[in-house]
Amino acid sequence: MINTHSARILRICLFALAFVRVARASDAPVITVSKSDTISIAVQPISGPDGSVIAKVLQSDLAACGYFTITSPGSASLIAGGSSSGSELDGKVNDHGGRAAVAGTYNGDARAKAHAFANDIVQTLTGNRGIAGTRIAFSATRTGRKEIYLADCDGSGVQQLTHDNSISVGPSLSPGGGKLAYTGYKAGYADIYLVNLSSGTRDRIIKYPGTNSGAAFSPDGSRIACTLSKDGNPELYVCSLNGSAHRLTHTPGIESSPTWSPNGDEIIYSYDDHGGPQLYRISSSGGSGEHLSTGFGYCTEPDWSPDGNKVAFNVREGGSFSVAIMDLHGGGVRTVAIGERPVWGPDSRHIIFASDGDLYMMDVQTGRKKAIVSGIGHAAEPTWAR
Amino acid sequence: MTPKILRSTALLSCVLILSSCALFKKKNGAGGYGSDSDTVGGTPLPERQEGVSFMGDNVDKHKFPPVHFAFDSYAIDSSDEGTLQSVAQFMQSNPNTVIIAGFTDERGTPEYNRGLGESRAEAVRDYLLHHGADASKIQTVSFGADMPVDPASNEDAWAKNRRAEFGVVK
Repeated sequence: MINTHSARILRICLFALAFVRVARASDAPVITVSKSDTISIAVQPISGPDGSVIAKVLQSDLAACGYFTITSPGSASLIAGGSSSGSELDGKVNDHGGRAAVAGTYNGDARAKAHAFANDIVQTLTGNRGIAGTRIAFSATRTGRKEIYLADCDGSGVQQLTHDNSISVGPSLSPGGGKLAYTGYKAGYADIYLVNLSSGTRDRIIKYPGTNSGAAFSPDGSRIACTLSKDGNPELYVCSLNGSAHRLTHTPGIESSPTWSPNGDEIIYSYDDHGGPQLYRISSSGGSGEHLSTGFGYCTEPDWSPDGNKVAFNVREGGSFSVAIMDLHGGGVRTVAIGERPVWGPDSRHIIFASDGDLYMMDVQTGRKKAIVSGIGHAAEPTWAR
Repeated sequence: MTPKILRSTALLSCVLILSSCALFKKKNGAGGYGSDSDTVGGTPLPERQEGVSFMGDNVDKHKFPPVHFAFDSYAIDSSDEGTLQSVAQFMQSNPNTVIIAGFTDERGTPEYNRGLGESRAEAVRDYLLHHGADASKIQTVSFGADMPVDPASNEDAWAKNRRAEFGVVK
């Protein structure tokens, strides 16, 4: 919450490290990531009835965010601690000299307080949003049918949302995670449903003739980009949440998987005319699509990073799919993992993707990955609330 | 299709501009990009009938055999023209609505497959429209890679799964 002198210095140090990496990258294609990219931090015991749970969750959040190495207080650059009254957590991060780098008051249950404290630490020291406690959704076949499931981004607290015994796929969480749109076949056609996650109410909002799918919330949550075939061919549209549709593209091929720029002005999508889908970019008010050259012959399901700098997407190499990341400024493309349907977290640093029916989280800066969802049938098509 | 044939197709489209161009619109290459028209690339679908869908009990899904497609393609195969002509003839002499359902094999990513399945259904619809079927009697739906007829992961199964099926509303 406070942005003190020492916090600013730490932030400058992190920017300097980032700059060094970029400078190296321009000289040689190999990017070296060393342990010096992280800040050492120690989590001290937190007083109060739920203090031990908070300390444990905080430590795990800080270890997972990628910016920190957890060490003992003696060797740490920063010391996190605080006191909890049960309803409120007073959290504090001090540097070695005892100066406050981060301090704030956080509310909610023990996990919510720890996540809010961890995200405040990340935001204050790095300028980037944290991912602690953010929500994901995906489709999975645990029941034998494809249903939509919700979970925390670390895969904990998996909960089945739909029980339609039909086909429910392609979920998209709204910014903040309060709403979820998905493609459901409950009425026998592919329609887009909107679920209010706090009230549990559901509406079939986009139900034009033909197939309605590929919902993606705009950054302000007020609109949904999607593919509709009502005019006789799959085209991109932007719809209001009451279903009225504005058509963006006019082509003979297949548009799919729109994803919004952070300011909502542009959309990147996949376009295919006679085989070999490619990435295109178009104004969110319509016009002509501009081809994004990736060097790959099959590019689908793009996801624009919240910082606007990168797009993650699927490429097909041989018979299998890889996750690729394109730098929208430099134009460079690299593949980072075997898998499909990558989606960015709010920090523009972590992605979640599907591989062989499991979901993985990867830190694209370090290449570290871990399985977060497995054992609930075939899990696919993740979405991550920003 | 070679660029040369594409060009002749475009030329022919211009010559035939006053007649129905339904057959050519799927082959119209780059011509449609940025157009102001709302019907380039297809004839709009009619409103759905309430309570009628491909999954419904009142739909005969076995009156006509499915038609099949090459990998990652929605082009009509000439070997299926016999089936398509019998569907078109049936539609000319009967009032039934027909729901065309498009499907893909399991290769390809899920959302792309939903688009590809829809394009297969729409390609079949265009053929039927060009052969005298009434646009107000046709609905389309795509299931992408879901509902395969053969769940195996081999060339035989994939070839069977790349299909469009006909649901005749009773």
